[in-house]
Amino acid sequence: MKRNRLIANGAVFVFFLFMLIHAFRLHEIRRFGEVGSGFWPLLILSSAAILSFILLIKEWKLKDGEKKERLKEKEEFPGKNRLKVFLSILCLLFYVIGMPFIGFILSTFIFILIFIFVLGERRKWRLVFSPLLVTGLIVLVFGRLITMPLPKGIGVFAAFSRLFY
Amino acid sequence: MQHYLTAFSTIFLPQNLLAICLGGLWGLMAGALPGISTSMGVVLLLPFTYAMSPITAFTILVSAYCGGITGGSITSILFGIPGEPSSVPTVIEGHSLAKQGRAAYALWVFLLCSIGGGLFSVFVMMVATPVIANFALRFGPPEYFALTILGLSVVSGLSGGSILKGVISALFGLFLAMVGTDGITGVERFTFGTSILLGGVSFVTAMVGLLAVSEIFIEAEEPFKEYKEASGYKGMRKEFPKLSEFKKNLTNLIRSPIIGTIVGALPGAGATIAAFLAYGEAARTSKNPEKFGKGAVDGLMAAECANNASTGGSMTILLSLGIPGSNTTAMLIAAFMIHGLQPGPLLLSQKPDIIYGIFVAMLMANLFLLGLTIIGIRAFLQLTRLPYSVFSAAILILCVIGAFGLNNNVDDLYIMFVFGLIGYFMRKQGFPIAPAVLGLVLGDLAELSLRRSLLLSLGNPLILVSRPVSLLLLCGAVFSIIYPLLKKPKALKGV
Repeated sequence: MKRNRLIANGAVFVFFLFMLIHAFRLHEIRRFGEVGSGFWPLLILSSAAILSFILLIKEWKLKDGEKKERLKEKEEFPGKNRLKVFLSILCLLFYVIGMPFIGFILSTFIFILIFIFVLGERRKWRLVFSPLLVTGLIVLVFGRLITMPLPKGIGVFAAFSRLFY
Repeated sequence: MQHYLTAFSTIFLPQNLLAICLGGLWGLMAGALPGISTSMGVVLLLPFTYAMSPITAFTILVSAYCGGITGGSITSILFGIPGEPSSVPTVIEGHSLAKQGRAAYALWVFLLCSIGGGLFSVFVMMVATPVIANFALRFGPPEYFALTILGLSVVSGLSGGSILKGVISALFGLFLAMVGTDGITGVERFTFGTSILLGGVSFVTAMVGLLAVSEIFIEAEEPFKEYKEASGYKGMRKEFPKLSEFKKNLTNLIRSPIIGTIVGALPGAGATIAAFLAYGEAARTSKNPEKFGKGAVDGLMAAECANNASTGGSMTILLSLGIPGSNTTAMLIAAFMIHGLQPGPLLLSQKPDIIYGIFVAMLMANLFLLGLTIIGIRAFLQLTRLPYSVFSAAILILCVIGAFGLNNNVDDLYIMFVFGLIGYFMRKQGFPIAPAVLGLVLGDLAELSLRRSLLLSLGNPLILVSRPVSLLLLCGAVFSIIYPLLKKPKALKGV
């Protein structure tokens, strides 16, 4: 567990360090007598890099007693089902990527169906009717009433979306 | 007094009362539905006001403005989706209460405090418009920088268990605010050649990802359950807060609207800094700071009072000086122009009926909103009775619509997704999210005002402490940072 924390805090430090190096290039861009574009990024990112390094060291030096306490805390944290989280993230990713191609209606319907299945819903009637109801309601409110230009998709999917909004 | 009597008799005409109802209702809907901000709600209403008399037009517009600010908090509390940056403290405390099954209670507290804050600011606006306007005019770049530092100083109150992690989180937010095109030199910063980031990181997209999307991912870790805990509320009547709870928070309830009205009058600062400052003050002076981040009622009260009180401050500066204090009041300038009026010092003497009419319309709108919001809350509360899995899916779709609706651009969805992952990582590693949001919101203003100050003083940093208001605000910030360290707060667990 401590290893995971060290990796995470190390990643935070490396992130700020990388951005800090990038900020040094910005520092050169300025006019005479003017505070340049790099001044503020250098100030903020150097502070962030220093503090994240301190955090990393603190984590490294954590005493055994504190370590056990942290581990206990961690056990209490409801981190049981990592696979569900991973699949939820994938669902959202494919929903966001797929929406411009297959349109809002179809992508939303498929997303709800898969997402509630991933969360553990197994009743067939709920798996079928929930996506229908939620998609219908959202399209009615946002697509028809508020006339928000929700993505229609391309080709045949666009023709399908135009039937509804 | 004569002006007020005339204004009351005008506002009580049937068409103006109808305008208050319709405007308030539309504002509530616009504020509550993701994807439509308060300013967009006012803009959409604008074309309908062309044919109206000026006073009816402004009545409907200011009612929509007040309704929008109020409505935004309903989704913040129930679903954890902040419609505006100023709703973030409401999400932190209000949504935590909702997750404990106290949604109806949180909504009552929000409703009473936001209406109270709104009414307070209208009263202040009625009696002290010139004083507030003069005070706001004394704010130059050094004062704005000091104000943002004061705003950032509440980080310790938002940090949860580790102040170090809270500060790193705030610095991350400040870093995010730098992404995009530099406002002074026009140089691209941290865009790495992508056009998506040229315009910077949008507050709302980032907030939706960090707060709402990440929470759904966290909840996905839990075993399957039929309903969310929030569905266990007892009903609106049974959850009405006790008078003693408001008595206990009297100082907080007086201080927060004052902060809201004053900060709301500052152009560019507005409701967000007001809500965070009031929330930070409440955290600093609370007898139970350990409850902050877990559903602290005093935090919710402070944020809501200040948030709504900022409407009066913002209108004060608009009516007296013609300067918009927020996006929505900038839209109202367009309404003034459409009706052949020029907001500013002369308007009060030339068209007192309009100005006093607006004061009274805002007062009445806040009173009407009390009833309208109760109806709205009842409707929204039903949504929490949805099965947990469907509810979570619906929240994610509302997040998607909220992010997409900003610019009608799919790119914002990718940004929201990335921030959802960042928020998940932060929560898992114990980095509080609220300081990052605060840094993101204040970062741009802090940087620009610091650089402008240094330009004014030819690079001399003493300008920041040589002006009285700036010095006072910086001293406040230093006190705000040092006080919790001396007090050694109990372990606070933030979001």
